[in-house]
Amino acid sequence: MRILVPCKRVPDADQRIPILSDGSEIDRSNLSYLVNPFDAIAVEEALRIREVTGDVEVIAVSVGPLECEKELRTCMAMGADRGILVDFHAPLDPWNVASALVEIVKRELPDLVLMGKQAVDDDANQTGQFLAARLGWPQATFASQIDFNGQSVQVARETDAGIETVTVQLPAVVTADLRLNEPRYASLPSIMKARKKPIETLAFEDLGVSVEPRVEVIKVEAATSNRKCVIVPSTEELIRRLRDEAKVL
Amino acid sequence: MSLRANNIFGGRPALSFNDLPIDQSDAFTSQRSDIQLETTKYLADRTLSNNAFDVIVVGGGVAGLSTAMQLAMRGTRVLVLEREKIGNGSTGRAAGLLGQLRGTVEHTRMLMEGLKVVHRLEQEADLKIFVQTGSLRIAETPARAEEIRSLVRMGKSIDFQIDHISREEVASKLPYMKTDDLVDACYCPTDGHLQPAELVQAYMKVGRSNGVVYRSDCPVQGIALGDPGPHTVSTHDGEYQAPVLVNSTGPWSYGVAGLVGATLPTAALGNYYLTTHPDPDHPVDTMSPAIRDRHHRIYSRPENGGLIVGMYEAEPVEYNTETLPVDFDMSAMKPARDDFNVALLIHSAQQRFRWINERTPMSITTGIMTFTPDGKPFCGTMPDAAGLFHCAGFCGHGIVQSPAIGLIMSQLILDGESSFDIAAIEADRFFDLDGYSDRSEIKKRCYDMYASYYGSTEGTSGTNKN
Repeated sequence: MRILVPCKRVPDADQRIPILSDGSEIDRSNLSYLVNPFDAIAVEEALRIREVTGDVEVIAVSVGPLECEKELRTCMAMGADRGILVDFHAPLDPWNVASALVEIVKRELPDLVLMGKQAVDDDANQTGQFLAARLGWPQATFASQIDFNGQSVQVARETDAGIETVTVQLPAVVTADLRLNEPRYASLPSIMKARKKPIETLAFEDLGVSVEPRVEVIKVEAATSNRKCVIVPSTEELIRRLRDEAKVL
Repeated sequence: MSLRANNIFGGRPALSFNDLPIDQSDAFTSQRSDIQLETTKYLADRTLSNNAFDVIVVGGGVAGLSTAMQLAMRGTRVLVLEREKIGNGSTGRAAGLLGQLRGTVEHTRMLMEGLKVVHRLEQEADLKIFVQTGSLRIAETPARAEEIRSLVRMGKSIDFQIDHISREEVASKLPYMKTDDLVDACYCPTDGHLQPAELVQAYMKVGRSNGVVYRSDCPVQGIALGDPGPHTVSTHDGEYQAPVLVNSTGPWSYGVAGLVGATLPTAALGNYYLTTHPDPDHPVDTMSPAIRDRHHRIYSRPENGGLIVGMYEAEPVEYNTETLPVDFDMSAMKPARDDFNVALLIHSAQQRFRWINERTPMSITTGIMTFTPDGKPFCGTMPDAAGLFHCAGFCGHGIVQSPAIGLIMSQLILDGESSFDIAAIEADRFFDLDGYSDRSEIKKRCYDMYASYYGSTEGTSGTNKN
């Protein structure tokens, strides 16, 4: 069995991210990058399925600049068997990433595509859905639990209305949500082993797809916070403010 | 230098702790770090009436905050300038282990006195800072056992509470730890850890009650030493003057010294620790003793139902703070999942705590420490910059030393001398010696010090890399 795990290289969302003075995009000059946290959860789930099921190959794939090799090595150090890097330098929107992934799926013929529900830099939450639709495959998004049953997977999906459980026949696309699992760190032996695992680099053009940008970024600006913190001298004053100013009592 | 009796307040306090008026409107306890940061920002954004002070403390970590508090308690008008958020540098990454027993009698005495300062701080600030879990040192080889014997002898000679304990006693105190290979251990019941956030709050609460002014997000861009004083410190917010400056900037301390053309032999080196999430299969009593296992280069203490395990590895990560962005946020440092140092930490932790592995639910904390060539901080002035008092280089032991160090710094600044024996930590101890003005030589010596910090046997020469 083969599981394909698309992984995105993203700036660490916990760091301070400056914006270029012309508002065109973020200032990448001093940023640290990592594997999109939801994709790390997907890698972890693929590894757990392998632990239970046995004969499973886990392939990590990244679409982006050559620096993505670092994130692919992280996935392989966690336990993925090999990596594929589709080299592309300009920013890509979800539609075009999905276009590239369609071709990778055709090449690798995975039984399951397991990926993060969204990337923490754009929060688009579209690539998995586009991919499933373009492949004509069933999809189960926002997975908080996955039970692999051979020809199908049962997925508990976290929605705003509650948990919905669906069964999808393989091959399928499943996107991972936060509570699906807690990803492992890499052990010393698996870091060493990963150095010898192969990464295949393909040029975007070699996939035979053309880039059709569907999203144009017009402006990037910092979110401002008007949050104030006031220390009140007494409980009576606190109650007065909650009642008369915040009007929550 | 005369050794006066160790009167904590130096013999002529302007105020003692018991006299402090605590402004009730500022009473707060902080359970969440974001509330704490908002509150310290509130405390920091006070309107300044003028920009002349008696002392300007550059660097708002525990070293600077403790010094500012002690100075203000003696009537000094103090300004604290912090590059980013107060307490958010090395201080905010610290595990806070408090082991009073150090390599020398003088240093141990200093920490014992520091603990008394903490007890008074707890009363005055109404905060629980010190958690007295006791601490253990364990030995798995004859060399480490000899180390423990010598520490027990030294501790007993100064009436410090310490004794050998059996392997069975260790196992009963720490059921989650591997103990079958131990050949000796010693237990110090008066040790424990300081909670860094509460310590910072206490320093600020008492400091502010005594008039300390705090500015955060205020990096120092330049320092002009007046000849004679006062000295001028420039920031984006304007200039401030004081006859005395304190350089308590930790990993940035050598760069700040460089602003006046001075050389401070410190270096910035990384450290990692893991904190396991509470696990009912591996319960960790919150009052379990801290342990130091030098053979595996690890230290450990309980935290909220889980376990902190940190390491002094043989090949630390080096940082150059002069090339980091000026608003570098240490709390945002995050290692990759395949970070080699993390894997090494987990591997080392596993040697002692068999249940810990790369799958164990945990968080990894990484930060930057300030190391020195001999493992001791630099406290005081140097001949190349009169009126600039250094207070940096705590080699991962800033939290624990800060209560005593603040007192010592206030004595040096206000009295010109200290009631403690501070020969080993004087700032100018390397001033004229070969190699201590060369940056690459300094870095190498600090690196070697870190690498041998736990690796070498205490009290003997040479390193033991086993």
